[in-house]
Amino acid sequence: MSATGAPTRRPAALVWLRRNLFRSPLDSLLTIVFGAVSIWLIYKTLSFIFITGRWEIIRVNLRLLMIGRFPEAHVLRLAITVVGLAGWGGLLAGFIRGRQIRSGRVADDRFTLSRVLDIAVRLSIPALLVLLLLTLAQTPGPWIMTGAAVVAAIIGRAVGPFLGRHTFGPAGAAVIASVLAAVPVALYFYVVTAVGFDDWGGFMLNLFLALCSIVLCFPLGVLLALGRRSALPLVKLVSTAYIELIRGAPLFVLLLLANVALGFFVPDTLAPSTSTRAIVVFTLFTAAYMAEIIRGGLQSVPRGQLEAAKAVGLSPVRQMGYIVLPQALRNVIPAQIGQLISLFKDTTLAGIAMGLFELLNVAGALPAQADFRGQGLIGETITFAALMFWVVSYTMSRESQRLEKRLGVGDR
Amino acid sequence: MTDHEDTPAVYADATAMTGSGEAMIELEHVDKFFGSFRALGDVNLKVSSQEVVVVIGPSGSGKSTMIRCINRLEEHDAGRIVVDGTELSNDIRNITEVRRETGMVFQSFNLFPHLSVLDNITLAPRKVRKMPKAKAEELGMELLTLVKIPEQAGKYPGQLSGGQQQRVAIARSLAMKPKVMLFDEPTSALDPEMIGEVLDTMKELAASGMTMIVVTHEMGFAREVADRVVFMADGQIVEVGTPEHFFDDPQEERTKLFLSQIL
Repeated sequence: MSATGAPTRRPAALVWLRRNLFRSPLDSLLTIVFGAVSIWLIYKTLSFIFITGRWEIIRVNLRLLMIGRFPEAHVLRLAITVVGLAGWGGLLAGFIRGRQIRSGRVADDRFTLSRVLDIAVRLSIPALLVLLLLTLAQTPGPWIMTGAAVVAAIIGRAVGPFLGRHTFGPAGAAVIASVLAAVPVALYFYVVTAVGFDDWGGFMLNLFLALCSIVLCFPLGVLLALGRRSALPLVKLVSTAYIELIRGAPLFVLLLLANVALGFFVPDTLAPSTSTRAIVVFTLFTAAYMAEIIRGGLQSVPRGQLEAAKAVGLSPVRQMGYIVLPQALRNVIPAQIGQLISLFKDTTLAGIAMGLFELLNVAGALPAQADFRGQGLIGETITFAALMFWVVSYTMSRESQRLEKRLGVGDR
Repeated sequence: MTDHEDTPAVYADATAMTGSGEAMIELEHVDKFFGSFRALGDVNLKVSSQEVVVVIGPSGSGKSTMIRCINRLEEHDAGRIVVDGTELSNDIRNITEVRRETGMVFQSFNLFPHLSVLDNITLAPRKVRKMPKAKAEELGMELLTLVKIPEQAGKYPGQLSGGQQQRVAIARSLAMKPKVMLFDEPTSALDPEMIGEVLDTMKELAASGMTMIVVTHEMGFAREVADRVVFMADGQIVEVGTPEHFFDDPQEERTKLFLSQIL
């Protein structure tokens, strides 16, 4: 206050600082200490990334990090698969949008400025990562592949709504659905017939292990959750025993068991490949956790919902499928996605436990290469691996928040 | 009505119907236990086609349990329950059959929060009656017009007021074209200003000839709409009569006590 009583106007920034950072002596002390630590950490990180870090090891070994020892002769198949998947993803997204328009849930498919901006923000971090990887690439191949993938995705997205909006009768719908479902399977066989599972590696392997396990563990988790609540004693017993048994064992031990102990039961010639075993273990393991999460979701649905479903005459399967399960699943989206993110990161354990040449295993092995031996470059390679995992995990997390909002969790 | 002077058991009243005379619902010697607690004891009631029966009584008297037994939300332990000629047994087909013919409106609405208002109504006709989508939606809009909220079709239940939600719930039950409607305290969870709109809907339904059993505390509704009033206490039917008889000239001490407490 000035002597005349007129309020002195301080700059808004100063007021903000005062209020939020220097309100009391203790606040000020904390601000100074943590401020100094943060600045030091940021400085160290930035200087590592831009000055002291020697990223040559990443540049030289980029292919190894991304796809492991995948034979060069068949890399083209991989590129075609990526482009195919991009197109398929676009088609699926467009198809779903078309369906929503048909059912009146969405008004139109116009790409307004705000929608374009929204998509840009959503894609920004993965896109930045792809750009970073492309600048590290030493051949034009990845650029061509990425360009083709983007084009394929856009074409798919443009065609999709048309397919979704028209009915084509029940037979036509069945054909479209089965073609859409068959594409990823066909692409998988396209790759795996040329290069067996055990030659896959790098980040591709992490993604593939996680993707397969996610797709497989979800239905299994739902069945186990329903089984544990079943009125049939045997079903309940088996489900409960399974869940408790699996949750009682460390994932690492299960992976080791699958790698070693399977040989006791199955002759070598029949034994599935190491990657297949890893997928089986991840699926069985995560399903047990998913089952408990979903069971929590089932319990969160009020009893009256089931009663109303019965009262309108729905059969028991439909009571569950149309009324209880949809509400249960959306009530526990955050926990489910958390479990799936955890699964994705745990794919690194397959490297150590089973010797799979996944990203972390590659990153750990690179500093021992002849060209880089004794230079202590483990920091660089591990940082790179961490970045890859962070971007994918963060993207999953953000998409889950988006999904939650769209499904209106919380506003009943 | 039989003469009350020489009526040893009130059940004589309970089984004497008004309405068309054709029995739509029959309860004979129905018992229901929750553990060792007897929720229903030897309940006998016949409801004829197009009759409106209002069930009143203190809380815990078994009113809700009784109507929840009629569509098998609760399983009765002894006696017979017959709905439109189908006796409820453990056979799931019988249960489903009865539920299709029986609409139920709950105290807490129990609309499906993840479905739009229209989808709430069309789900059962489409999945159970195999009605084509377009036809089901036409029916849904008709019913929403009947309950006077066609403009809410695209909204979700959470966006509606309590009174509107309960009217949607009534429309949802009617979509299965039931022969009987059960109301389990349909206005008890509503704010006072919304009770009227729901009761009006129910009055129209009664006037259209629907067979109804209504558990309620709305004595005005009972007096105005009911063909018969059933008074329950401690899991038993204590007294049955026309509204005039029931409110103006109750016979049983228990009934008189209850009426003196609430009126």
